[in-house]
Amino acid sequence: MRSLVEQALDTARQRGADYADVRLLETGREDLQVKNGQVGSVDRSDSVGLGVRVLVRGGWGYAATGFLTKDAVDACAAEAVGIARASSGLLRSPVRLAPEPPHRAVWTSPCAIDPFDVPLERKLDLLFRVDEALRGVSGVAIAEGFLTFVKKRQLYVSTEGSDIDQTIVRSGGGYSATAVSATEVQRRSFPQAEGFHQTRGYEFIESIPWVENAPRIGEEAVALLTADPCPQGERDIILEGSQLALQIHESVGHPTELDRVLGMEANYAGTSFLTTDKLRALRFGSEHVTLMADGTLPGGLATFGYDDEGVEAQRWPIVEKGLFVGYLTSRELAHTIGESRSRGCVRADGWHHVPMIRMVNLSLMPGTGSLEDLLADTDDGLYLETNRSWSIDQLRYNFQFKTEIAWEIKKGRRVRMLRNPTYQGITPRFWNSCDFVCGPEAWKPWGVTNCGKGQPGQVAEMTHGSAPARFRKVNVGVGYDD
Amino acid sequence: MTESEARAILDQVLAAAGQREVEAVIGGGVSRLTRFANNEITQNVSENRVELSIRVVDGKRTGRANGNDLSRGGIERLLDAAASAARIQPEIPDLLPLPGPQTHQRVDADDAATGDLDPDGRVREVRRAVERCVEAGVTAAGIYETGRGTIGDYGMLDAMAIANTNGLFAYHRGTHATFRISALDGAASGWAERESWRASDVDGAALADRAVDKAIRSRDAKPWDPGAYTVVLEPAAVADLLTDLSWIGLGALAVQEGRSFLSGRIGERVMGENITLRDDPFHPLHRGSPFDAEGIPSRATTMIERGIARGPVYDRPTAAKEGKESTGHSLPIPNTIGPLARHLVLEGGTGPAEALLEGIERGLWVTRVWYTNVVDPKTATLTGMTRDGLFAIEKGRITHAVRNFRFNQSVVEMLQGVEGLSASVRAGGVVCPALRIRGFHMSSVTEF
Repeated sequence: MRSLVEQALDTARQRGADYADVRLLETGREDLQVKNGQVGSVDRSDSVGLGVRVLVRGGWGYAATGFLTKDAVDACAAEAVGIARASSGLLRSPVRLAPEPPHRAVWTSPCAIDPFDVPLERKLDLLFRVDEALRGVSGVAIAEGFLTFVKKRQLYVSTEGSDIDQTIVRSGGGYSATAVSATEVQRRSFPQAEGFHQTRGYEFIESIPWVENAPRIGEEAVALLTADPCPQGERDIILEGSQLALQIHESVGHPTELDRVLGMEANYAGTSFLTTDKLRALRFGSEHVTLMADGTLPGGLATFGYDDEGVEAQRWPIVEKGLFVGYLTSRELAHTIGESRSRGCVRADGWHHVPMIRMVNLSLMPGTGSLEDLLADTDDGLYLETNRSWSIDQLRYNFQFKTEIAWEIKKGRRVRMLRNPTYQGITPRFWNSCDFVCGPEAWKPWGVTNCGKGQPGQVAEMTHGSAPARFRKVNVGVGYDD
Repeated sequence: MTESEARAILDQVLAAAGQREVEAVIGGGVSRLTRFANNEITQNVSENRVELSIRVVDGKRTGRANGNDLSRGGIERLLDAAASAARIQPEIPDLLPLPGPQTHQRVDADDAATGDLDPDGRVREVRRAVERCVEAGVTAAGIYETGRGTIGDYGMLDAMAIANTNGLFAYHRGTHATFRISALDGAASGWAERESWRASDVDGAALADRAVDKAIRSRDAKPWDPGAYTVVLEPAAVADLLTDLSWIGLGALAVQEGRSFLSGRIGERVMGENITLRDDPFHPLHRGSPFDAEGIPSRATTMIERGIARGPVYDRPTAAKEGKESTGHSLPIPNTIGPLARHLVLEGGTGPAEALLEGIERGLWVTRVWYTNVVDPKTATLTGMTRDGLFAIEKGRITHAVRNFRFNQSVVEMLQGVEGLSASVRAGGVVCPALRIRGFHMSSVTEF
C-alpha cells in the first residue's frame, strides 16, 4: 500500500503539481441496531481508497479512487493535476499554504479494548437487555438501541516531506423510547440524542450504565404524553450538558469556521455573522463564557495527532471571558487573519472526499457549582434536557431548538414535567445572557457524529464538552403558539 | 460501470455464495464537482468509487457486509462477514425470503456528454456564470456537479445493480448535472439552481442572471412583524418542505407505528382538493431508478389524491403486515426506518409563479427555505428560515425586500390552504409547482 501512495505523489509531481499530498485511508465500521425486540441491522463495512490533493499554479485539484492498482492510482493523480490546472484558470489570487514543519510520525488514539475484537454476540446481548428494559415499561411503543464502532488508519504523505501514519478508534451507542398517542409522539433518549461516542475502545461502552437507566427513560417517554405543555413567553432556562453541546456546535462552532466567514460556504451552509472585523472586538458572551478549541481533548471525536493536511493538533481559545478571540483555520486561510500557522482544523469524510475546515472539539469551560446548586439558585425557570430538533439561519444568528423534556423550576425545586419544550434566540444576545456555568463535576465531553458541511456533503464528528448553564429571559414555547 | 461489468461481478458473488441465500448490490460511479466562491474556483474534485454490499439470509436471520474490494478474496471476505453476522443473531420473525425475478421498466437517463464532461467543460460553464456576477458588481458562489452512477450527497450510494440467488437481476444507470449559484451583495443574496440528467440543460449564465436579479432586489431589507401571511413559495421552498414530509410521514412504517399524520386517516380528507401528491420515478423530470434497494419494481404511487389520503409507500415488510404488495420503495433490508418516497411529484397547475401574485393585498414571496427540521412529527410541523430572496407582496406586486423570517408551520395545514399552483418544475429533487398559501406562520425575525 505504501508504494501506491508514493507512486501517486511521484505521478502528481511529474505531471506538474507544485504541491501534493496523498491520503490512503482504510476504514472499518460496525453498526448494530435492535428495535422492538428484533435485530434492526448487523452491518460490517470496510472501505479503502486513496485521495490526491494538488496545487497547480495556485489552483486546487482533488481526485480519489477506490481502485488500488498502479494504473488506477496513476490515472487518479493525473486527473487531480488536470483538475487543478483547470481551476487555475479562474482564480483571483493563487492559493498559498501557511508553513508547517514536515512531520514523520505514528499516532494512535488510546484504546484499551479493540471493539472489533469484542464478539458481536456480546454487543447484541447488551442491546437486547436495554430493549427488554425499555419495553418493560407499559406504554413504550418503540424501543430502539444501537452501537457503532469505527476504526480508521490513514497514511498521509506530502511533497513537503510529511509522512504520518495515524490510527483512530471510536466507540459509541445510544437508545431511545418512543410513546405515541392520537396527538403526540414523545421520545426520550440516553445518554444523549444520536448516541454518546468517544475515541476510545469498548471500555467506553462498558463504563456507561446502559440498562440501569432504561426504565427511567421509558417512564419519562410515556409520562410526556400527558405532561403539561411548555409555557410560552420569556423564561430563564437551564440547558443540560448535551443540549448545550449542540448549542455550542451550531452557534459557536460553525460561525467560527474561517472558510464560512470568508464566503466559501455561501452557496450551501451559508456565511457567518462573526466577520473578521469582530475578532478581538466583539463581546460574544458574558464573562462566564470561555470556549476552547482543542484537537487534543482526551476521548474527543475530533482528537488526532495531525489533521488531514499534516498540521499538528492544537488547543486555543475561541471566546475568552466573553470576548471573541479565535477562528478555526486551515493552511490556506490562516494568513487572512494575520496568523502564520494553521490551527489544524482540516479533515475529510473518508478517502473519497477532499479535506476542508471542520470543527475540532470545542468546549465551554466549566465554572463552579453543581447542577443542584444551579437549580437551587433559580427562582423561576425551565430545565431543558436532550435535543430533539435544531435549526439556525445561514449567518448563525436566529436559532431554534426543541428538547425532549423540560422541568419547571420554582424556588429552586423541580415542580413539574413539561412536554414539547422549545426555545429561540439570537446568538450573541443569548450567550451574553449566560450567568451561571456549572463546575468540573458536572462537565462532560458530549459528542456530535452527524455534522454536515460542504459540497458534496461531508459528515464529521466532534466533541463539545459542557456543564449545565443558565441563560436569562429566553423566548420559550415557540412553534406551538401560532 | 456498464451492465455487463456489473453483472460479471454479481455473478462472481452468486457463484461464491454456494448454497447460501444471498443478495448482492453494486452502487457507485463517478462524481465530479467544481465549487466556486468569491468569484473564483475554491475546490474542484472527482471521485471514482464502487462498493459491493452483500446480504446473507440464513432462515430468519440476516447479516450484511459492505466493501470496495471487488477481488475474489474481497468478495469471499464479505460473504463470510455477512454470514457470521447472520449466524450469531436471534431470529427475526418477520424476515421475508429474498424476492424472485422481477420485470423492470427501462428508464432512459444516461447522457454520454454529461457522464464524460471534463474539468475544462465545467470551468467554462462556471466562468460564464461568474462573469455575469462580476459585471453586476456582486459576488458569485456555487457549484457545478456532474456525474454518472449512484453516488449521492454525503457519500450515500444507491443501488446501480442488484442480483440475488433467487434469480433477480436489476440494473439502472443515470447521469446528472446540477448547477447552483448564489449571488451575494453584503447580507443581501439571491439564488438559482438547475437539476437535470443532461448537462446540455444547464445554462450557468442564465442562472447567474436570476440570482443577480434577486440579490440586487434583496438590498435594504425591511423588518416586518412576525405573523401569519399569505405567501408564494417558489418550487425550491416547496420541495424542501415536501422532502421533510416524506421522511416523517409518507412511509408505511411511520403510519403503522402511529408517528405519521396519515396514521388512522387513510381515506379521509387531509389536504385541500387541489393537492395530489405522488411518488413517480418515471416522471420525465425525475428519470429515477425503476427499482428499490431489494430490486422490487418501483411503482408510481399516489399518496394524496385531490386532498384524500390514499396511503403511504411500502416496502415488502410493511406491505406484508397489511397483506398488500410492496410499492417498491425499500431502503436496504433490514432497516429501522421503513420505506421512503424519494421521487415526489406534486401536481401543478398552469402558468408562471408570478401569476400567483394577483389579488394578494399583503404577503411574502419566498425564494427558498433553509435548515428545516421537525418540531412536531404528528402534525408535520417544521421550523426553518427563509433565505436568498424574501420579498414583500403588496397589492399584487412585489415591492421590496423583507428581512428573513423563521417559520413554524405544519406542512399538512399548509397544504390545506393552497390558493394557487403554478406549473411544475424540478427543484431540490422534487417535481412541484410554486404555491400560493394563506396563513403561513412566520414566527420570528432574524438580523438580516
